[in-house]
Amino acid sequence: MSSFTAPTSLDEVLVALAAGARPVAGGTDLVVGARQGKKPLPEAIVSLHHLDQLRMMAHVSEGTRLGALVTHEQIIADPTLQSSYTALVDASSIVGSQATRAHGTIGGNVMNASPAMETGGPLICFDASVVLSSTQGTRRVPVADLFVSPGKTLTRPDELLVSIDLPPVAAGTGSSYVRLEYRQQMEIAIVGAAAVVTVVDGVITAARVTMTALSATIRRVPAAEAALVGASAGRAAAEAAANAVAEASLPISDVRASAAYRRAMAAVIARRAIQAALTRATGGTVPIPASAALHGAS
Amino acid sequence: MSILEHSAPTEFIRPDGKEKVTGSGRYTADLTLTGQAIAKFRYADHSHARILRVDTSKARALPGVFAVITHDDVPEVKYGGMVQDRYLFAKDVVRFEGEVIAAVAAMTEEIAKLAVSLIEVDYEPLPAISDFVAAMDPDAALVHEDWETDTRSDSLGSNRNTLGYSTIVKGDADAAMAAADHIVTGRYTTDGVNGVPIEPHAILAQWQGDKVTIWTSSQTPYAARAGVATTLEVPQSRVRIVVPLLGGGFGAKCDFHFEAHIAALSRAANRPVKLVFSRHEEFFAIDHRREGMLIELETGVMADGTLVGRRARLVLDKGAYCGEGGFFAQMAAMHACGPYVIENISVHSFLNYSNNQPSSSIRAPTAPQVCWALEQHMDAVAAAIGMDAVELRLKTLIENGAEGPTKQIFDNVAIKESLIKAVEMIGYGQKLPADEAIGVSCGWWPCFAVESGAYVNLNHDGTATIITGAQENGTGSVMAMPKFVAEELGLRPEDVSILYQDTDAAPWDMGSSGSQTTFNSVRAVLAAAAEVREQLLDAAANQLEAAREDLELVDGSVSVKGTPTISVSIADLAAGGTFHGKGSGPLPASPEVDASGCVGRLGIESFLAPQVFTHAARVKVDRETGVVRVLQVAAAHDSGAVLNPMGADGQVYGGVVMGIGQALSEGTVLDEDGRQRNPHLLDYKLVTCADAPAIDIAWVGSFTPDAGPRGSKGIGEPPSVPTAGAVANAIAKVIGAPVCQLPMTPERVWTTMQEGAK
Repeated sequence: MSSFTAPTSLDEVLVALAAGARPVAGGTDLVVGARQGKKPLPEAIVSLHHLDQLRMMAHVSEGTRLGALVTHEQIIADPTLQSSYTALVDASSIVGSQATRAHGTIGGNVMNASPAMETGGPLICFDASVVLSSTQGTRRVPVADLFVSPGKTLTRPDELLVSIDLPPVAAGTGSSYVRLEYRQQMEIAIVGAAAVVTVVDGVITAARVTMTALSATIRRVPAAEAALVGASAGRAAAEAAANAVAEASLPISDVRASAAYRRAMAAVIARRAIQAALTRATGGTVPIPASAALHGAS
Repeated sequence: MSILEHSAPTEFIRPDGKEKVTGSGRYTADLTLTGQAIAKFRYADHSHARILRVDTSKARALPGVFAVITHDDVPEVKYGGMVQDRYLFAKDVVRFEGEVIAAVAAMTEEIAKLAVSLIEVDYEPLPAISDFVAAMDPDAALVHEDWETDTRSDSLGSNRNTLGYSTIVKGDADAAMAAADHIVTGRYTTDGVNGVPIEPHAILAQWQGDKVTIWTSSQTPYAARAGVATTLEVPQSRVRIVVPLLGGGFGAKCDFHFEAHIAALSRAANRPVKLVFSRHEEFFAIDHRREGMLIELETGVMADGTLVGRRARLVLDKGAYCGEGGFFAQMAAMHACGPYVIENISVHSFLNYSNNQPSSSIRAPTAPQVCWALEQHMDAVAAAIGMDAVELRLKTLIENGAEGPTKQIFDNVAIKESLIKAVEMIGYGQKLPADEAIGVSCGWWPCFAVESGAYVNLNHDGTATIITGAQENGTGSVMAMPKFVAEELGLRPEDVSILYQDTDAAPWDMGSSGSQTTFNSVRAVLAAAAEVREQLLDAAANQLEAAREDLELVDGSVSVKGTPTISVSIADLAAGGTFHGKGSGPLPASPEVDASGCVGRLGIESFLAPQVFTHAARVKVDRETGVVRVLQVAAAHDSGAVLNPMGADGQVYGGVVMGIGQALSEGTVLDEDGRQRNPHLLDYKLVTCADAPAIDIAWVGSFTPDAGPRGSKGIGEPPSVPTAGAVANAIAKVIGAPVCQLPMTPERVWTTMQEGAK
């Protein structure tokens, strides 16, 4: 690293990015990655920490806007997110450790583009989009289209994610994110699943299901969603959809788990996520974070 | 109840506590000397290869590099504990991935890293032996081609890749098996485990003239001094080891490691040189971790539960070099017998070289793994005869007067009491949900009697200073010494300071290892304090014109018993004379044994003042994923008389949590060449506070003669021994089958369930 700047205006940050600098927010991926030797620190770093406007969270009739610098801790504590976007709170609640959640930001989590990241699945399920700014202007990209490969997004190097916009959720909607976790803190997803479902009179009218750490990027599973829409909100539909997730998964074998175990767990974890979403959609309670609450759930 | 709720503050606060929790304490990595250079090592690129060429010229030419050294720059000296089998820097052959080929000292860490990468090494790869069981095959390649000419202890029974071979033989096990009502067999394997202290290894060396001072994160400063003196061929009087605050060790900082490398580098660079390991190096480059094992057990049992025969075969992974772990085969063999009355025994134990990371003592070496296997095996034995697992143990555990595997007659072993207490605390037999169960596990661990020496000086104001060679590893053993000395001299603990962790100051000490700091070092400190006490009594008797035997030391004064008005303050006495004591105290003798049928006898056939214990664990198994949560652990220990209850409890809390890590998640995954695949904290999973269970503790021991000071036994290592076995037995009850690989990861638990369902 040869330069580090911390401008007070967004325009100055965008100019720095256009000149080749890389942004840093919480630093929980960038700095840890450099220390582990994954990737050296960039030559020029521009810090976002003076851009207070990016720390804002706004709930309006068009939905919710999360500034790029909103931390996981802010997300966890927000009552509107807890009630309307519960899956996102499930996810932010289990990122890293207390320290990671205090420093780590939603913008950084998304732009790190890890296929194991917690918040990506919920954001895709909520049809969230990101607002990207550069000296060239501003554009909007759905989170579902953002990830192209592990660690890579379709953004240009000069673009900064400034906010994430979540459209409003329909009445009767419930959501959940569940991760297979060997231990309860400092964990990385080996298998994860998010579900957002809308239930009207006991029938599922809309569904979004994503799988995490089961393919090169986090992605929706259309077959799982098809198995839910039109079905009655119960275990049978959840199981059918979860089996579709396992079917669609492309698990690898590595030091964390074998492909066979990952595929089997995809069905279990997806079923739990969908069932939790259905429970929440129909007025029931599943404590946040759902992952811990659902240990041993059958 | 949580751990915090349990630890109600008591009157005794350890002297180093405040600086550690407030962050003002200084560890080795915090030290900086003017002009210091930063060290980096060049490691082997293969786990087994012949070195054809090492060219350091490009590294030496790099601006900012002060020195580059290799084997050619240090004396040609082999070192090691029971076997001298290695050099400081690889010579001709590398035998594991963390072997050091060269060391660089440079102006900055970045330059040092670049220089290390510029060192050119050509190799001829050799077959890597990672399978430590296959290493015994007669046609297996040799890890040490010159094993027959290495200097080694004759009692090891070395043969090719087998560094050490030990047996425990009693009676006629074969005949006993033939006559047994039931024969139960079990086969268990365990992965290697790392100690993972939070503070990584760090060393700073500085020469002044022909004397070197080395600040190092060592648990055993005197072993480090001896290692430097031997390998660099300098007298011990010219090597001073100082340990700043130590951030844990768990055994991984026992023995001599990199102090000589950095001392030699500092001499070559002509300036102070500092090494601080990264977390990655702390995993793969340290030559000290817990060994993997194969454990095969067979027990002959009668219908009434009498254990008539035990046969066992153990194979242990020594890794590439001996280090201080040459005794492992015999220690493991004793644990394959366990604290049970068994009439006939035949245990064979092999400690094999491999091209894996060297294994050496980690908290109770060999015991947690063998205990985990044996205690699961005991549950299987109970099931075979239709007896409750606790009932079988109550029938077969040793008691006072019982005869052990080497015909030692035990005394002061409250192990049945520990079982009864643990079972009571956990609520054994209660109705539980189908996915929960309780398992129990018993175990033992010997005390080690070794020499120690200490001084106690009285200062002129009546305060005192202890000078001890003991090493504080975080357990509080050294920190409790002022309490004992204060009691001896009628002072307050806060009036007693400690000079420690400096090899120039105090007599030789074994260091923080073997659960023996209080056992041996406090014995020495108390002997030194007793001399001061005698001197004070003499002086007071003279001044008060009273009979010595009528005097007592209380509240900072020497007074006539029953007449406190006739007294002189210790401060006044101290101002007028020189009061200083030294002491070692008499070593307790090893109990008698008859191990005439055993080979590979290294002294462990005799268990001095056995520490005995039971842990019971209640677990919940996620039967769809195999993820196990430990909800509650009850730990009952006989450590003799307990001298410092808060410190003793602390050892149990830590040991239980460490034991849960070994049970469920901590294991080194190796590739076929013996390289670590998870050398970082994301994939080598320690247990964090979030997964710590409720822990209940009971002390069931009593004053034990011929043991440690004031009737005590040790406590540092035992709490890490039985937890995995208790967790295993609970898991097996939930899923209906034992998990025979350690750690019992979610996938292994799940696979066991899948196999059971077929």
